[in-house]
Amino acid sequence: MTRLLLIFLTLIITGCATPTPINLDAFNAAAPRSVLVVPVVNKSLDVDAPNYVLSALPVPLAEKGYYVFPVHTVKFILEQEGLYEGEQIHQQPAPALAKMFGADAILYVTINRWDAQYAFITTTVTVQFDYKMLSRDGTELWKARKTLQYQPQSSGGGHPLAMLIGAAISAAVARAAPNYMPLTQQANLQVFTMGATAIPDGPYSKSREIRSAR
Amino acid sequence: MLYQSYKDPAKVEAMRTNLESQILALESTGQRVAPGLHAELGTLYLQSGNKGKAKAFYIKERDTWPESRGLMNAVIDNLDKEPKRQTETPK
Repeated sequence: MTRLLLIFLTLIITGCATPTPINLDAFNAAAPRSVLVVPVVNKSLDVDAPNYVLSALPVPLAEKGYYVFPVHTVKFILEQEGLYEGEQIHQQPAPALAKMFGADAILYVTINRWDAQYAFITTTVTVQFDYKMLSRDGTELWKARKTLQYQPQSSGGGHPLAMLIGAAISAAVARAAPNYMPLTQQANLQVFTMGATAIPDGPYSKSREIRSAR
Repeated sequence: MLYQSYKDPAKVEAMRTNLESQILALESTGQRVAPGLHAELGTLYLQSGNKGKAKAFYIKERDTWPESRGLMNAVIDNLDKEPKRQTETPK
């Protein structure tokens, strides 16, 4: 019951925030069953970011009902072929990649922002990703950009000096180890499942299975 | 979990056992294992040099998810070829 309520709530929230849904004609026409997630292009300064983002991509896609090629295996195979860098891989023609893995669609992700900005005693962590999905024959199926920001909340209240110290501590913690992963997971989940950018359900989607069972 | 192993390569071993036990748990309850998990486990075994187990898990992946057939067959073929090459070279 609470879960249903939550779904409605998110529907309402995202419903307000979505002006125009993107055109999914090409996506529906191609009706991909499997998605190949290739290693990520990194435009941020963090060298580890691409691997982190890559590791957070398969789950939401699988939840949507698509077969997701094992990202680590794909990365390993591409490395055997001499393709290490995301840039290099994104330049490969999509049909060649799709043929190599037998995939219906390829997902390219670019990290635009992955940083923490400090202003006085608060820290703002920002992630921004570009998503692009191409079909097996190279036509663009879907494209989205997602930006998420996070500001650690100090659990203050009461004495102003205590609040100030609390804020300083939380800023220091965020500065030492900015917590990108929840933000990244959230961004990936939202972009595929919510609002204007949501992609259609895949063949293994739970809601589709329920519908066909009736 | 994959995130952890990227963050700390020393944890790969732990991740492999963890993943394997999760897959076994899913199999024992009759649930379908999420796409790619078998293959990822196979690759982890391959990277640590255990080709037999790697192949077994690639085959499982292929049988669970028809979409993976092309890739898994290619990977399994490659694994089958490699030991032959090794036995041929000493001659």
